[in-house]
Amino acid sequence: MDTRPWLLLPLLLVLGVVLSYAVLSIPDPAQELPTMLTDNMTISGAHNPVSAVLLNFRGYDTLLEMGVLLAALLGVWSLDEMPIYRGSAPDQILDIMSRQLIPVFILVAGYLVWAGADAPGGAFQAGALLGAAGVLLRLCGWRVNNRYSGLPLRVLLVLGLAMFVMVGTGALLIGSEFLRYPPTVASELMLIIESAATLSIGATLAALFLGGRPKGEE
Amino acid sequence: MELILGQIPWIVMPIIFPLIGSMACFLFPAKAKSLGLLTSLVVLACVTRLGWQLKALGSLRYPMGGWGAPLGIDLYADGLSLLMLLMAALVGLGISIYSSSYFSRDKARHFWPLWLFLCGALNALFLSADIFNLYVTLELLGLTAVALVALAGGADALIAAMRYLLVSLLGSLFYLLGVALIYHSVGSLDIAILAQRVEPSPAMWTAVGLISTGLLLKTALFPMHFWLPPAHASAPAPVSALMSALVVKASFYILLRMWLEFFQTQGAAFANFLGLLGAAAVLWGGIQALRQTQLKLLIAYSTVSQLGYLFLAFPLGTSIAWKGALYMLFSHAMAKAAMFMAAGNIQFFAGHDRIAELGSITQRLPLTLTAFALAGISLMGLPPSGGFIGKWLLLQASIESGQWWWGIILLLGGFLAAGYVFKVIAHVFTHDEPTSRTVTLPATMEWSALGLALIAVLLGLFTYWPLAMLEMGSPFGTGHSG
Repeated sequence: MDTRPWLLLPLLLVLGVVLSYAVLSIPDPAQELPTMLTDNMTISGAHNPVSAVLLNFRGYDTLLEMGVLLAALLGVWSLDEMPIYRGSAPDQILDIMSRQLIPVFILVAGYLVWAGADAPGGAFQAGALLGAAGVLLRLCGWRVNNRYSGLPLRVLLVLGLAMFVMVGTGALLIGSEFLRYPPTVASELMLIIESAATLSIGATLAALFLGGRPKGEE
Repeated sequence: MELILGQIPWIVMPIIFPLIGSMACFLFPAKAKSLGLLTSLVVLACVTRLGWQLKALGSLRYPMGGWGAPLGIDLYADGLSLLMLLMAALVGLGISIYSSSYFSRDKARHFWPLWLFLCGALNALFLSADIFNLYVTLELLGLTAVALVALAGGADALIAAMRYLLVSLLGSLFYLLGVALIYHSVGSLDIAILAQRVEPSPAMWTAVGLISTGLLLKTALFPMHFWLPPAHASAPAPVSALMSALVVKASFYILLRMWLEFFQTQGAAFANFLGLLGAAAVLWGGIQALRQTQLKLLIAYSTVSQLGYLFLAFPLGTSIAWKGALYMLFSHAMAKAAMFMAAGNIQFFAGHDRIAELGSITQRLPLTLTAFALAGISLMGLPPSGGFIGKWLLLQASIESGQWWWGIILLLGGFLAAGYVFKVIAHVFTHDEPTSRTVTLPATMEWSALGLALIAVLLGLFTYWPLAMLEMGSPFGTGHSG
């Protein structure tokens, strides 16, 4: 297929015009759902509307999103093994800096999960931080010990989705709907799910950066 | 016992079990095969049980998290979703049995978790009543499908997978843009609520256009089918089977569901346009299939052609037409899965899939060729087969509604299908010396193909249950039954 961008230009222009017209023609959005959200916030177990939607009202979406993340990693792992990394040993400054920085990353990630209940924050942001910490470690020449790159790593990767499914199924077992948290323990359950999800997201993002499955696995 | 079984919300089980199964396969690769087979069996049992519930209730709504729409997400099941679930569960079981001997140890480790995720995504998609949740399921489905195509390894498969990934993402983004427009102008994501509130407006037309484009791209309707033949032909055989039989049907299901609920008001011109594209797909796909020299590409183009039939129901719009199209969809899933498995067997045995050199192989694989022929009967639409019933219903609908020209497309498509099926079957009757290759083909691979092909044929004999199933919860409205 040869690429002729000038042929696409009019097409994109038409799309742009149609979309702008459509967006501008929309009347004021209905306020019913935001009102409903604030009414139910108190029993949701979270004080931040974003967290309440992500983990409680539409928790099922987030559960599947955790699946998407894991599936992406499975796809990458199915392609090839991790490329061999031949970096020179980090110099002293980088080494000391990374040793100082990583604990701060972890601390901030923990804070973000905790704060997520009441303020902007939560598992995805905290997980991204952990992932960044993993990338930094890798670039500084750190390696995961072979002993942990098998089952322990895989457990860490599925933890978030597994916790979500377990809580959901637990709700089924006590006779209520899937993923319905009892209001008395809702905030605790959400914190557990978020912590597990944070670890999984961090591990998944770092593993995606490595670009392949760990070597010599089984 | 019956009391307990009756209280279990079977509707969530086809979603939970594949997810659990997939995680278990990922954690314990050594046990992946048995875990995968077990999951497929459990899913089929759960779907059957859900069907039992629906038989009594007609349709079922289930609030995930106990909130209920519009605040939360609802699951919804009626005859239409049940038919799709049953199709996925039956083909899924066949594919699991087939794959248990197809993949090498190394590939199997990656295949099982991905396949079970895909199975869960399909079931979640068929049960969702929320247009954003449908987007999430589409993403999960698309990503796993791409990874499975790439599993074949080699340059062809990787290029096809990459192109499929880009097309799939483009389709998803079109869909998401449409969802954003709908949510902003109507204020809800639940399909049932949308059905009551949607009014024609520029934003709605744009949203319908965007969503349809995205979904048609994923369904590979002519002329947006360019990505399908390479992706379906270069994948490993069981993956080709599940792509052609199930994955392309998922985006069609979403389009159909939205059409029945709230797109229908957007005008008859659009329906006729879809019908025309469908007709073009039937003819173009059929002609291209005839021209192929590789067996798997022939089957892939046949999918392009068969998908076209589904869109002939849009301009007809009657209950009979929808039933015909869905009957086609169901039997195509069985037949096409069987056909790709048979092609996989031939490739496994002969080491190639060049049609011209099949003569020496066919006589060594009687079961496989029987499966191929039975599947071919259904694709051609000869009686007795599911394909025949589907075409019959569509023909009846086209004559009743006075739009006889769609009927001509049905007949022409049947001739083309006969052409490309016999192009392969004819090799059975040649007098080529049977090859002396001594590859032993696992019995599971032959029997699973034959089993699915038999279902496709039996669908032509036992029509009561599938048609009664489509009446549950009257998904096509009660306005024009007949």
